[in-house]
Amino acid sequence: MAEVIPSIFSIPLHFTRPPSVHDELTTQTSVAQQDTIAECLPFLTSAEDASQSPFDFNEHGVPRLDRQGHIDFLHGSLREFPAAFVAVDASRPWMVYWALMGLYLLGEDVTCYRERVIKTFAPMQNASGGFGGGHGQYSHLAGTYAVVLSLALVGGERAYSLIDRENMWKWLGRLKKANGGFEVCEGGEVDVRGAYCAMVIIVLLNLPFELPSPIHTKVGTLSTFQQGLEDYLAKCQTLEGGISGGPGNEAHGAYAFCAIACLCLMNEPQIALRSLDLPSLLSWLSSRQYAPEGGFAGRTNKLVDGCYSHWVGGCWPLIEGFLYGPRTALNRPTDRMLRSLYSNEGLTRYILSCCQARTGGLRDKPSKSADSYHTCYTLAGLSSVQHVHFYVHQDASISSSTHPFRWRSLPLCDLVSSSAAGVYDKQDTLQPLHPLFVIPHDAAQRLRNWSEGQSTGWTVIDQT
Amino acid sequence: MAYNHHPSYSDNPLWSDITPIPLDEGPGPGPALASIAYSPRYSTAMSYLRAVMASNEYSERALSLTGDVISMNPAHYTVWLYRAKIIREMGKEIHEELAWLEGVSRKSLKNYQIWHHRQTLMSSLPSPPATEAEFLTKILSLDSKNYHVWTYRQWLVSHFNLFDSPTELAAVETLLREDVRNNSAWNHRWFLCFGKDELESGQRAKGGGGVVVVVDEDLVDREVAFAQDKILLAPQNQSPWNYLRGLYRKAGRSLADLRSFAEQFAATQGGHDDDDDDDDDNDDEHEAAPVEREREREQELDLEEGVRSSHALDLLADIYAAIGEREKARKVLEVLGRRWDPVRKGYWDYKAGLLLDDEDEDEEKKEEEEKGIKAVPEGGQGVAVA
Repeated sequence: MAEVIPSIFSIPLHFTRPPSVHDELTTQTSVAQQDTIAECLPFLTSAEDASQSPFDFNEHGVPRLDRQGHIDFLHGSLREFPAAFVAVDASRPWMVYWALMGLYLLGEDVTCYRERVIKTFAPMQNASGGFGGGHGQYSHLAGTYAVVLSLALVGGERAYSLIDRENMWKWLGRLKKANGGFEVCEGGEVDVRGAYCAMVIIVLLNLPFELPSPIHTKVGTLSTFQQGLEDYLAKCQTLEGGISGGPGNEAHGAYAFCAIACLCLMNEPQIALRSLDLPSLLSWLSSRQYAPEGGFAGRTNKLVDGCYSHWVGGCWPLIEGFLYGPRTALNRPTDRMLRSLYSNEGLTRYILSCCQARTGGLRDKPSKSADSYHTCYTLAGLSSVQHVHFYVHQDASISSSTHPFRWRSLPLCDLVSSSAAGVYDKQDTLQPLHPLFVIPHDAAQRLRNWSEGQSTGWTVIDQT
Repeated sequence: MAYNHHPSYSDNPLWSDITPIPLDEGPGPGPALASIAYSPRYSTAMSYLRAVMASNEYSERALSLTGDVISMNPAHYTVWLYRAKIIREMGKEIHEELAWLEGVSRKSLKNYQIWHHRQTLMSSLPSPPATEAEFLTKILSLDSKNYHVWTYRQWLVSHFNLFDSPTELAAVETLLREDVRNNSAWNHRWFLCFGKDELESGQRAKGGGGVVVVVDEDLVDREVAFAQDKILLAPQNQSPWNYLRGLYRKAGRSLADLRSFAEQFAATQGGHDDDDDDDDDNDDEHEAAPVEREREREQELDLEEGVRSSHALDLLADIYAAIGEREKARKVLEVLGRRWDPVRKGYWDYKAGLLLDDEDEDEEKKEEEEKGIKAVPEGGQGVAVA
């Protein structure tokens, strides 16, 4: 370990060379993994490349955040796309959400988009409740989630009141299934994503927990959205300890986030994860981080991808909330909370060294192009490593009594010395995000406050 | 039919009774966000689609229109769902639809509407077509870890009760022979072995939590042997390690049984061949000298240079903790964080911290016992005996 790299930068050795343990047997998976390491190493070590300007890197050998480049890229992603982009025709709510969220993280004021957001989404709402991916498309939980979050991001009475809450509630009732889960749309697939999107919508819009009409199953009657959901999600924990899209499927980072966040929307963090086997979940989650890449992969033996900076990275604050319990007030987090269970440094290095495209925007890995999906979720991951998230007990100083709104965050660089905070520059700190809703804390709180002032006196109908 | 290939809607007598619904880009000034400059062909087709959907038309021409839109944009979930409704309402021949679908599937593998549509179609058949397994093999040969394809395959197995189908197990074995690191194939193997019980009874893969899980011990033995064989091929492949741990968790077996298996991947090179013999000898010859025996084991291990699998070390840390050898567990976790898997140091440190918590608990228990108080009833560590 005594090798000395002649460099003014301090990059730990394990981020500069292939892993110490290596198998001889070659398969498709190992070839793809070797190729990815070979692709990432020059970016991870480029500070040591004599042809690079040393001024482009900080003392940790990490490139700076190209804030303006990413801002320009995201504004551009809200303009008109050429005809070849027809594949995103059913994902326009997502395109809007990813851009607005990314811009907010980068410090931009997104309220200037309010009128155009309302204009864009108005034709996507269906009279029978919910929003489709575009005008004339069936209502879908993913699209509706993106619409509700985007409206929360731009804020304001006019934006909120676009949503027909009563029909939203009735539509959600038609998506709830006897197994406890949710269909993503009527006649669509049932998966963990659907459950998470539904709970986010229900909580933000303060919809009644009662189902519009009860569901009679073989083993009893479901009368609320939550009933059966915890069991359904627990059944999605796999042999590996991770969480899959549905019972029996393979553990996957994006579904793990959806399931864990959904559980934390249903219960306070100290009991939210009680139905999961925590040691195996932690083991699987921790295994998602590789060196030298430093970033996360979504599944066992799959490749690192910038978007898992959020899907996997976003699980950690929730798990830590569960492990360390709530704080009694808005006081400073304990030392233990500042010691992360994953490598903040590795993730920061991957995002800033490998994911930033020269032309602005962020990407899956160096061989891929930037897009707004990867830009949003790599930035969300970077924000997550730069903040400590914690959950506070109910307290007079907190306006809302509803538990999902009791998450707080503080920038790490305000709590510890900047060298202890991480390998990014203080000026590259992003805005914090709410770990369950993935929008700003106050944007979530304002939409909830508005919703609490609206009617919920709708009739429950039992058709039996 | 004539309108199948180059459909023209506005000047076609077949469509003359339909008033197309143009795209609504919303009220107010300024362009809509993230809009698309659609090709005229797509715009026209979509405006007719909106119109027939609005009147819930289930007809031959509507079916053809959905095919046209799908050919231009297979990611359009609405058109797939509408197509499925048309097929159902018109009582269309499922096999014909499947044949059409196969062509689309090859062109857009990553698209998951295709697989949900396939599931909808299959669910109306009494049994899957004989060619289904072959079809899936072909698709997986192009993309062996495609999540949507595997999700569909697991649905197929559970819907038609193919858990014990030799074709399914053989397909998994072939994929693992080609790439022993294909974790999707490992997951499917687990699903074939245990999925039926887990789906039916709601028992999860983990056992744990004091729940006594009844499993077929012979099946577990077979799978343990399978996983161990595959580990020997490439010890740093995490998939079979996870599988092995999953089996032990499910069957409620003691990890301590895996001690010599795991230690061979952290032994001085060449030394591990004698491992098993040594264990047996130890049991007979060194019964009276546990300390000496401890030292011998220690000498077999070379945590600094002899490690061929970080996953073996991870397992060893849990084994040592389980049998009360906390110092050894700590040493293994320390070397994992420093030498073999440093990117996960935060996690290894957390696990080492849990060892301290265990020690504190033991300490408290001892103190209380000395005071004559029994803290926890015998066997009462939260284990519910069913």
